[in-house]
Amino acid sequence: MIGPWVEKYRPQTLDEVVGQEQIIKRLKNYKNEGNMPNLMFSGPAGVGKTTTALALAKSVLGEYWKQNFLELNASDARGIDTVRNNIKNFCRLKPVGAPFRIIFLDEVDNMTKDAQHALRREMEMYTKTASFILSCNYPSKIIDPIQSRCAIFRFAPVKSEDIKKRLAYICEQEGYNYTDEGLDTIVYFAEGDMRKSVNVLQSAATEGEEITEDSVYGVISKSKPQDVHNMITAAMTGDFMKSRDLLRETMILQGTSGEDMVTQIYQDVTKRVTDGKMDSSVYIQLVNDIAETDFRIREGSNPRIQLEALLAKFL
Amino acid sequence: MQWTDKYRPKTFKEIKGYAKEKKLIKQWIEEWKKGNPQQCLLLVGPPGVGKTTFAQIIGHEFGEYIELNASDKRSYDILMNTIGESTTTYSLFSDNPKLIILDEIDGITGNDDRGGTRAINKIIEESKHPIVMMANDLYSKRLTTIRKKVTVIKMGKVRSPSIRTNLESICKKEGIEADKETLNTLAKRSNGDMRSAINSLQALTEESRKLNPEDLNSISQKNDKATIFDAVTTVLKSKNYNHIRDALYLDEEPTLVMEYIAENIPREYKKPNEIKKAYDYISKADIFFGRTRQSRNYGYWKYATQFMGLGVALSKDEKYRKFTRVTYPQSFTKMAKYRGKRNLRDSIAEKMEAKMHVSLKTAYTMFPYFEIMFQDDKTAYEISSFLELDDKEIKRFRKKKIPKKFIEKMDKERAERRAKERAEMKNAFSSNLNSSEETVDFKTNDEESIIDFKSDDGLGLESDSVDFKSDDDEESIIDYKENKLESNLKKSKDFNSTNMDIKESKDSNATNLDIKESEVNNDSESNIKEDIKSTVENTKGKDSKSSKKYKENKGSKSDKEEKDKDNTVQTSLFSF
Repeated sequence: MIGPWVEKYRPQTLDEVVGQEQIIKRLKNYKNEGNMPNLMFSGPAGVGKTTTALALAKSVLGEYWKQNFLELNASDARGIDTVRNNIKNFCRLKPVGAPFRIIFLDEVDNMTKDAQHALRREMEMYTKTASFILSCNYPSKIIDPIQSRCAIFRFAPVKSEDIKKRLAYICEQEGYNYTDEGLDTIVYFAEGDMRKSVNVLQSAATEGEEITEDSVYGVISKSKPQDVHNMITAAMTGDFMKSRDLLRETMILQGTSGEDMVTQIYQDVTKRVTDGKMDSSVYIQLVNDIAETDFRIREGSNPRIQLEALLAKFL
Repeated sequence: MQWTDKYRPKTFKEIKGYAKEKKLIKQWIEEWKKGNPQQCLLLVGPPGVGKTTFAQIIGHEFGEYIELNASDKRSYDILMNTIGESTTTYSLFSDNPKLIILDEIDGITGNDDRGGTRAINKIIEESKHPIVMMANDLYSKRLTTIRKKVTVIKMGKVRSPSIRTNLESICKKEGIEADKETLNTLAKRSNGDMRSAINSLQALTEESRKLNPEDLNSISQKNDKATIFDAVTTVLKSKNYNHIRDALYLDEEPTLVMEYIAENIPREYKKPNEIKKAYDYISKADIFFGRTRQSRNYGYWKYATQFMGLGVALSKDEKYRKFTRVTYPQSFTKMAKYRGKRNLRDSIAEKMEAKMHVSLKTAYTMFPYFEIMFQDDKTAYEISSFLELDDKEIKRFRKKKIPKKFIEKMDKERAERRAKERAEMKNAFSSNLNSSEETVDFKTNDEESIIDFKSDDGLGLESDSVDFKSDDDEESIIDYKENKLESNLKKSKDFNSTNMDIKESKDSNATNLDIKESEVNNDSESNIKEDIKSTVENTKGKDSKSSKKYKENKGSKSDKEEKDKDNTVQTSLFSF
């Protein structure tokens, strides 16, 4: 199989899933029991929610998993109509060659409240034939009735040593040499995000035969567009209009989400203070503002407006 | 009848005021009639000051005119086809120039009117006929090139005494009772817009024939685009609660008004502290718009309006004494500008979504890494063939195309690998059939089955498996991947035993067909390979059984064709 390593090395079975031992242990039981409650996987990006869901489906549904499994992710139209039609139609059919059917809804926190309410009925009506697996980043964005119908599993960021082990395994499979520091750098940068780790690894692999600290840093600096840095510099030197333009360009052109943008701003500011380029008293005030913005983005209606307001605070 | 039409001046004489403009225009017409071509006229001014009236009077002077306004689509092609040609030709029967009126040319925007400005430029240059154009905003970006080639006639807001006099005369003609003071208020409120004043008067008095002072409260001010600009100006210029409240009382999506205000904050406010404060209020307003949406409680709106209005207004230390042009939200402009790039980005992300179990949002986060990975020919080739990216999409990540030679080489390798695997599979099958009498016949079977895998994969085998499971667990597990024909055979069997099953399978076949289109693309080579592999393993394990099956299969082939016509059609559909 070819394709990006993130897909090539996606664990196919529950046993292969890295770093979520407790969760995996409990999930494995569902195979023997022959039924499964509705599940909700919550946790940050790249910790294995989708992978676990796919692996679980394969394990529980057996050979006919594809026929009995419906995956809908955030970018599929998931208004009320989808919930009412696609999901309902899928649930209505008798499970074939498997004890029940599984519907996997990725990133449920991006569904509208109305769609969530419609979903709640479906979850009740078809308990005999279908189970739901929902995944989300923030359980708080999911309406209570749905939460109460699910067993919630909180996925923690993957531990450093687990990521490192996996990266080493991939290197061996692909025939790349690596240094310990190289992998450590990836792990440090990825902050428990396996997808990011593997992407950095493969990017570094295209730079040379060996994965070293240098090649990894090369990737990290390249993959981090200078836009965010320039944007903050512009704001701090008082050029608000330029800064705002850069923000809009990045968000519109690259499709960066509000949450990611806040994280990137935070990282950039943090880097400034670690490099001694920013006063720590200024820093703590900015962190205060960034934290508030992070919260407001989730409360507000337009992330871009919130980020523009944040940039104004840098002036 | 609309009073605005009924009392629209029909001749220059009827127009009050505008002496200078009238003189200029009259002269312009005279010159044309003498046969001296003149520059185009551009009438600029806010709505309701009489631009259209002037244009129509000019039209009457010439006798013949064509008019295109904002309600018509005005792309390059359309403009050139409708008026482009007529501008360079003369009428057969008269030497008179005919007038072309282009209304609201600053409203030529967006995708529908692509190239409209270019067309107008061309028409202006080539035209042998007089052209009158109207626009609200002389400094609109769309007019930058046009502005230099035309004679501009600026028409300011109508002064409120003039409006009042006009209203009075209309009241007299219509027999309406109205006191001077009320008419004066109405005139003032219309903010220099004669049309809006007349419309308001008609709305208030057409039934009752009487204008009461308190009637004025029942109508808001004119609700057109101009007011959103006025609202923004008021918020940024004023500190007076009542003014701001009135200005924000308009018929627009409040989040759009917020965008306008936000856009113009740094254009008006210059002290960092003011921008900071003002934007914080915008941020708070946004939170309450978010809460409104989430809770469907529109009561939250009023807080948002206060924050973005008064909050922003009070953020300035003192009023600025300067002129700031209120600007359309630039983020919207950017969205339109980058549409092509965004579409490309989205088409890639959609492919990733289908193959990699990620949402678009997650897919975007991987783009920077792809940019690095794609520098390497081999990785670029592998990923792009996995995702089935086309050349344009590949170019998103790397400047050069992947060298053709390299692609050919890789394709060849891949084909060889595939052929090898196929051969191996054939061997596996034939070794299973070591006792078989007719190997040739079997081979054709084998061929078919390979094709079938392709179509099977991802299409969902629900139809087949229905029968298998309900009928015979053990066997079906080996069968269902091996041969589509077998399933057909099985179905024909089931047909005899249980009608139910075949019905069910047909139904799901029908739904499968629907799915087919979308999913057939997703058939990745890798999956096929995996399937083949597993099949090989399966057959190895169940030697005797499968060979028995094949014999059966051969025997019942004709049988099947007759009985399951539907299904064979289906199979062939799937295969290609």
